[in-house]
Amino acid sequence: MSTSEAMSANTISALDQAVIGQSLLAAAREMGAKLYRSAYSTIVREAKDASTGILDATGQAVAQSDELIPVLVGSLSLTFAGCAERYPIETLQEDDFYISNHPYHGGQHLQDVFIFMPIFWQGELIGFSSAVAHHLDIGGGAPGLNVMATDVYQEGLILPPSKYNLHRDWSGGPFEQLVANNIRVPDQTIGDFNAQFAACRVGIARVQELCARHGAATVKAAMAGMIDYCERRVRAAIAALPDGEYVGEDAVDDDGIGETPLVVRATVRIKGDQMEVDYTGTASQVATAMNAPFASTISSTLGCLKGVLTGPDVPFNEGARRAVKITAPLGSLLNPRFPAPVRARMEAIYRAYDAVVRALGQAVPDRVIAPGFDSTVATCLSFLDQGRYRVYLEIHNGGYGASAHGDGCDAVAGPLSNCTNVPVESLDMDFDFFRIEHYSLRPGTGGAGIHRGGNGSERSYRILKSGVRFSIYADRFRIAAGGLADGMPGTTGSCTVYRGTQVFRLKSKDNFPLEAGDLLVLQTGGGGGWGDPATRDPAGAARDLRHALVEQMAAE
Amino acid sequence: MHRVGVEIGGTFTDLVAFGPDGVSIRKVPSVPARPDEGAFAALAALGMPIAGIGEFIHGSTVATNAVLERKGGRLAFLVTKGFRDILLLQRHDRTRIFDLFYKKPEPLAARADTFEVPERIAGDGSVLEPLDLAAVGPILRARLAGRYDAVAICLINGFLNPAHEEALAAWIAAELPELRVTCSHRVTGEFREYERATATTMSAFVQPVVDGYLGRIEDGLARGGFNGHCTMMQSNGGRVPFRAIRDNPITALLSGPAAGVTGAVRQAGLSGFRDIITLDIGGTSADVALVRDGKPDWARETKIDGLPIRMPMVDIVTIGAGGGSIVWSDDGGMLRVGPESAGALPGPACYGKGGTRPTLTDAHVLCGRLPRDARLAGSMALDGDAAAAAFGPVADAFGRPPVALAEDAARLADGNIVAAIRLVSTERGRDPREFALVPYGGAGPLHAARVADALGIQTVVVPPDPGVVSAYGLLVADQMLDETRTRRTPLDEKAPDTVREIAGQLTAGLKARAAALGLEGTPEFEMSLDMRYVGQAYEIDVPVDLAALDGLDAATLAAGFAVAHKRIYEHGAVKGKAVEIVSFRARLRLPQGEVPALRLGSRTAARPAQPIRIFEGEAWVDAVEVGRGAVATGSSIAGPAIVTDTTATTYVPTGWTAEADAHDNLILRRSA
Repeated sequence: MSTSEAMSANTISALDQAVIGQSLLAAAREMGAKLYRSAYSTIVREAKDASTGILDATGQAVAQSDELIPVLVGSLSLTFAGCAERYPIETLQEDDFYISNHPYHGGQHLQDVFIFMPIFWQGELIGFSSAVAHHLDIGGGAPGLNVMATDVYQEGLILPPSKYNLHRDWSGGPFEQLVANNIRVPDQTIGDFNAQFAACRVGIARVQELCARHGAATVKAAMAGMIDYCERRVRAAIAALPDGEYVGEDAVDDDGIGETPLVVRATVRIKGDQMEVDYTGTASQVATAMNAPFASTISSTLGCLKGVLTGPDVPFNEGARRAVKITAPLGSLLNPRFPAPVRARMEAIYRAYDAVVRALGQAVPDRVIAPGFDSTVATCLSFLDQGRYRVYLEIHNGGYGASAHGDGCDAVAGPLSNCTNVPVESLDMDFDFFRIEHYSLRPGTGGAGIHRGGNGSERSYRILKSGVRFSIYADRFRIAAGGLADGMPGTTGSCTVYRGTQVFRLKSKDNFPLEAGDLLVLQTGGGGGWGDPATRDPAGAARDLRHALVEQMAAE
Repeated sequence: MHRVGVEIGGTFTDLVAFGPDGVSIRKVPSVPARPDEGAFAALAALGMPIAGIGEFIHGSTVATNAVLERKGGRLAFLVTKGFRDILLLQRHDRTRIFDLFYKKPEPLAARADTFEVPERIAGDGSVLEPLDLAAVGPILRARLAGRYDAVAICLINGFLNPAHEEALAAWIAAELPELRVTCSHRVTGEFREYERATATTMSAFVQPVVDGYLGRIEDGLARGGFNGHCTMMQSNGGRVPFRAIRDNPITALLSGPAAGVTGAVRQAGLSGFRDIITLDIGGTSADVALVRDGKPDWARETKIDGLPIRMPMVDIVTIGAGGGSIVWSDDGGMLRVGPESAGALPGPACYGKGGTRPTLTDAHVLCGRLPRDARLAGSMALDGDAAAAAFGPVADAFGRPPVALAEDAARLADGNIVAAIRLVSTERGRDPREFALVPYGGAGPLHAARVADALGIQTVVVPPDPGVVSAYGLLVADQMLDETRTRRTPLDEKAPDTVREIAGQLTAGLKARAAALGLEGTPEFEMSLDMRYVGQAYEIDVPVDLAALDGLDAATLAAGFAVAHKRIYEHGAVKGKAVEIVSFRARLRLPQGEVPALRLGSRTAARPAQPIRIFEGEAWVDAVEVGRGAVATGSSIAGPAIVTDTTATTYVPTGWTAEADAHDNLILRRSA
């Protein structure tokens, strides 16, 4: 930061800071709403698996939409740095963009494509407008989901950190052609790229309006002020925690081939207003797609801290990373070496999330919850219909952990995501190769306690055509969510295919060819309970009675 | 005969009456526990025989309150086998994504009262599994008899083929006639089973409460010799007879803000402003809406107590910025206004009812925009010293004099309101500079000019008596019925025929409903289509010109969609990409015709101009204060100035002038 910028950061009025800060957040939200509402792929539009934000002129995240999903919080700057390293910021012109999905250069998994567009005002670079979206298909070894990849190349098209020009290279240009020819559903995927560019343009327009009104120097000062503000609030929250070292642990079921649990260990060190999260002791990287790129590890850690430490009104940005140091050993599950596959990164970072929650629970027991089902259960039904792929990707949600404050929430999106389920009537209109026959809660699957864990759910698909391909990656099929403070553990999930009298129990990471008439039953598990079940909270018990969730708990 | 509108709010019950002798206005305290008493108190205050009222028009939050307080009927819920948990599963996303202790909104029918019925309609409307009443009947009788007031029915794909819902309803009507039945396809013709099930259970749940409430109103009126028509406001901004509300009470949810928009549209329209943004600021919140060519934009979905309700309604964005909003500093040293409010009790510090935390109203008092000798709502005196004391601590935290911080807080609130207006304008692809801002409610005119400044809006239209614009809206609203039907239709050469066919069905259905309700007059019809690219999940509203229906072709529909998509999302018109129609919407409108305008009455203060000092920006400046009645038609006042009215105060900042026009609207324009 130059001296003049530092001075203006110091001299901006409280009013300008508040008004411009709110405007930047509103711009990020507006970008996000436009992105998911105009998206084609179910994963963006229903799961809101996307993120949008404004970065300052050096690529530090200033404002991110807080209505999309938590897992992409806090990693925009990392991906940006990968791009700026290869193509310096000074070389950018209007209508240029950075793009990257490289897991080993600051990205997450290949499906998450990050786009950054520079914001100029009267020839001066003010900042960047950014949109990331999870794409339905990015090529690679299988439509939508390739759980058996052994390296990142098999997982799809790698877009290294690079710089292109929107008019020259996209909009019918060579880069668009390259992408369109390497993916299976170009109609939808190219449409989603266009939605990302449109979202970026909205961000550019909003920041330019702010510059016109307040002046570029004030807007830049407000950006710096917002990062400082976030840092102050995170530091205030950390300072309120007792100093010390706290260790938490959880485990991923297995790597999809063997049966060895993959331990994730977090050591949280608090000293004054500084925190360190160290994942030393975590299992080594594996041969399958369960590895998590380091950017994902950082995002999940920050997402967890935001939930436990601060109120919903604290906007997270680069300032949070100044107050929290996050490390994971190179070569571990949470910081693998190139070119390990990373498609199913969510399971490992969910365990990282749970391990940090457990560690923090020792410092501030009232602020945490028991581990929940906390897994991404991603299923994919695909069907090659007259030369055209039809891909249906769905995320299934289990129960939350219970806490000192009450029962865990039943069947709700995991803490790092915010996926909706897809309406049954919408699927009836959209797909003719399967039909939902049954969709229910699984009463009794949340762990018992003074407060019980949230219940899992069950969804059954009748397969209507032969040749439908099914793939899944999931977790907590073998190791259930643990209880807290004498609460009981939750229940595991499962995936089963019924074909006449035959029963096929699938693994949590699996592929399976389906036939017409098959019934595919997907179950998610419940969250851990809190407190001794012998002294069940009367209010929770009364609600369970009102919803007839008690009788079935006994019956099942 | 008189037409009387009564609008029941949280604090005040407002009445506006039209009669041969013009417009009368009354404001009485609400009776939250028994809102109908507030309505009759307002009528009593009017001092006119009830027998002299030809039409009684009502706006009330009774349906919304029944949901919020969970005070409805004992409800059973029938669903397709396999889908008992629709209401508990919901959609799985969290509205507060970082909240570890997140709870889903509590459904209106309990799982213990939800029963599965073997049957299934397919996605094309065909019957996959027939409904066997002979088998189901005895089981239903055992479960339903004697335990419930009402039954809601929502079957999968029941909106496509209502045969099974109708058969169940007919069976219950015949066998268990004491139960009121609500079918999903009658509440809304739209797909998405959780949202439709929620609307259906909500309609059934509040029905007994609304029925009883409207019955008490009708009985009370009848005792006074009333022999006229009773209608009620809906959330779409139109009225319907009480009977229609009793059949489907969810249309009455959130009708209060819609009434205000309707009133603002009419009053601003008199002065020739048909493209407006409305700004209603009350005690706890600010509501904004965008109106083009006299028609409010509409939204498909809102939430009440977290429960989604999909039905056409005026698109109103609400934020927590009102006169009672608290001014505070957070633990990161950021200045904040709201969303916490001092409410009616203790209220702002200047009310002298024990409030000690600074509010927006206190900020206006400190800055001299609410003169200390002014009386809010006609009766309440203001305690300026209490306002100054309340601002002390937070001003110290920022190292600012209390008055400077009060001004900062007011301008920050302006900023929050600007963000809300952007949601209904720029975010929907509309440029706010092409609109006039119409403020009302007690505090709207205090903020409007500076909000307009920030948005580049040139003109602000302040209606006379801004505090009763919502009640006025009741009297000017058209009667309106809506019908929606989901029928997924590819946009190809056959689509126009489908549009014509469904338009015919929907308008015929609306005419039949109007006839059954005894509505008189020549109806007008409007139609729009929910369209999207194949693969998208959110639809865009594309209007259809019914007058040109015969010549409608696919190219016109495609062009209309491409324009709308481009406007809203800033990308669109992809060559060769398939487009589809998802839902068809039709509206029947019976225009209200000529109605009197709001006018300044003799009650309006005509205090001549006197010099005052107000704090503006960073300094005290000389200004004038003048009663609204003293601003003669055609004459203008240059800011900085304060114009006081019976129900609200208008702030004219430096660089703005205010001029009273022939319709008693106060027109603020930028002079610099």
